[in-house]
Amino acid sequence: MMQGNTLPMRETFGKLLVELGKVNRELVVITADVGNSTRAMYFREAFPDRYFNVGISEQDMVNFAAGLAAVGFKPLVIGFAMFLMRAWEQIRNTVARMNLDVKLVATHSGFSDSGDGSSHQALEDIALMRVIPNMKVIIPADSADVKRTLPVVINELRGPLYYRMGRDYTPVITEGLDYDFKLGKGYVLRDGEDLVIIGAGVVLYDALRAAEELEKMGISTAVINLLSIKPIDEDLIEYYARKTGRIITIEEHSIYGGIASAVAEVIVKRYPVPMKFIGATTFGRSARSQRDLLDFYGINSKSIIGAALKLVK
Amino acid sequence: MDGGGNNGTPISVEELNKLRSIAEKARRNVVKMLFYDQTIHVGSSLSSLEILTTLLFRYIREGKDAINRDWLILSKGHAAPALYALLVEKGYINEDELWKIQDISGLLQGHPEIFIPGIDMSTGSLGQGLSFGVGVAQGIKMKRGSGRVFVIMGDGEQDEGEVWEAMTHAVTRKLDNLIALIEMNGFQLDAPTSKVKPKDFLPDVWRAVGWKVLSCDGHDFISLINTIDEALKAKAPVVIFAKTVRGKGFKEIENTVSQRASPDDARKYLTNA
Repeated sequence: MMQGNTLPMRETFGKLLVELGKVNRELVVITADVGNSTRAMYFREAFPDRYFNVGISEQDMVNFAAGLAAVGFKPLVIGFAMFLMRAWEQIRNTVARMNLDVKLVATHSGFSDSGDGSSHQALEDIALMRVIPNMKVIIPADSADVKRTLPVVINELRGPLYYRMGRDYTPVITEGLDYDFKLGKGYVLRDGEDLVIIGAGVVLYDALRAAEELEKMGISTAVINLLSIKPIDEDLIEYYARKTGRIITIEEHSIYGGIASAVAEVIVKRYPVPMKFIGATTFGRSARSQRDLLDFYGINSKSIIGAALKLVK
Repeated sequence: MDGGGNNGTPISVEELNKLRSIAEKARRNVVKMLFYDQTIHVGSSLSSLEILTTLLFRYIREGKDAINRDWLILSKGHAAPALYALLVEKGYINEDELWKIQDISGLLQGHPEIFIPGIDMSTGSLGQGLSFGVGVAQGIKMKRGSGRVFVIMGDGEQDEGEVWEAMTHAVTRKLDNLIALIEMNGFQLDAPTSKVKPKDFLPDVWRAVGWKVLSCDGHDFISLINTIDEALKAKAPVVIFAKTVRGKGFKEIENTVSQRASPDDARKYLTNA
């Protein structure tokens, strides 16, 4: 049921953005010369007057968007996660400090730019974004999650928001599930009694696979899609801490400052239980596929199962 | 570019005297702030004073409509005390607030924040104002507004790479509703600009990129007005290189790298000037 790929997230995103642009006339899209790679090109084809390629100038891109927001537009800035971080200070000091309605959309996050290597692999962006006041952080798990979240992000949510996607690798995770996206809400992909795996993004595929395996071993495992990283669903996390007593976090990101940290912040405050963190701890490297990198760095179902057995023991 | 109320009108002696007296009062108030806080950037503020006075009291058209009013972006945000002193003269801020600058109980921050009445952009980190101004100017054009955007930068600020990004961007967008003013006072934080990184080539660079380049005396109202009038007629983005003096009129620090002075120096200035 969870095998195979659907349309890559960036494809789904690029096409949906055009639909949203038809209704929302204030929506403008700004990129720094990666319109093709990010699939912002579909918006360019549909609305050339509302599409800006500012050149390879990420800092200018962010403040240009801020200026457009100041006169009433709804700018969506899109680029590679890594190079949006180059404008972290512009995001912090202008967009967030003025609480402007600028949406920052990252593609190529995590290990998804596998071939380009560590210079292009953003494993620190969740940490860098969630620490900024006024900033919201959303991580869709797959194309279905993009369809649930993006209309809300564009049409309903105001203010700075970071939206994190990968490149092509898009295993089916939430397709067919019946839930609506609400800011600050996490979603139970699978219920369980002995352990809960909390994560976001494509790695939830491995979380679900691990849960199936653990079930066979007699360990009842819940899986939570924490797609709203900030604000975070404190109540849901506490509920599952109390219910299962064991937490594993998984992320395609550094465990320092990312989802592990965000969940741990809730847990130590609300209801401390043993935790294990699965994620990156250093820079990436080149590989022929994102999957190879996830396995190389142990961000996979095998690591989850290992961690689970230690927690349950 | 769309003409404002005063564009091209020759300045009367009365208006000239009025601008001078506003600037002088603001200058005294900037120096007076030293009684209350010695860490404000007095030198940079006095460098900006006549430019800000001219823009605020002759050109800037105010209003609530974001696209049919003018924008004033103080990208060199450390000159905030000069802007605050002038916003007092404009009636946006109570004079008493000036004496609480940077105080925990006060409204006025060390650098501009949009929660302060009359402030169009929160600044303080150099190099960001021009990009923001390009965005505002582009947005105004898309909505067919009449607003114009004035961005004030320092010469030291030109070291920032983002200025290059924004400068080349503005030309690409053909923004003739955007005017940048660069204060050439010859000093940056650590040392004279010539010792840190030369700035003499800047007008050539801006011209080569496609800006209309003008220059003026940044403390002389007639020079400023003539130059801004010319800038407003241009069909391209315009940059004005304004020769200014850091600490202008405040002898204790005038034309030195020094930003600050003691309350005693302030007292000396206020009793003699």
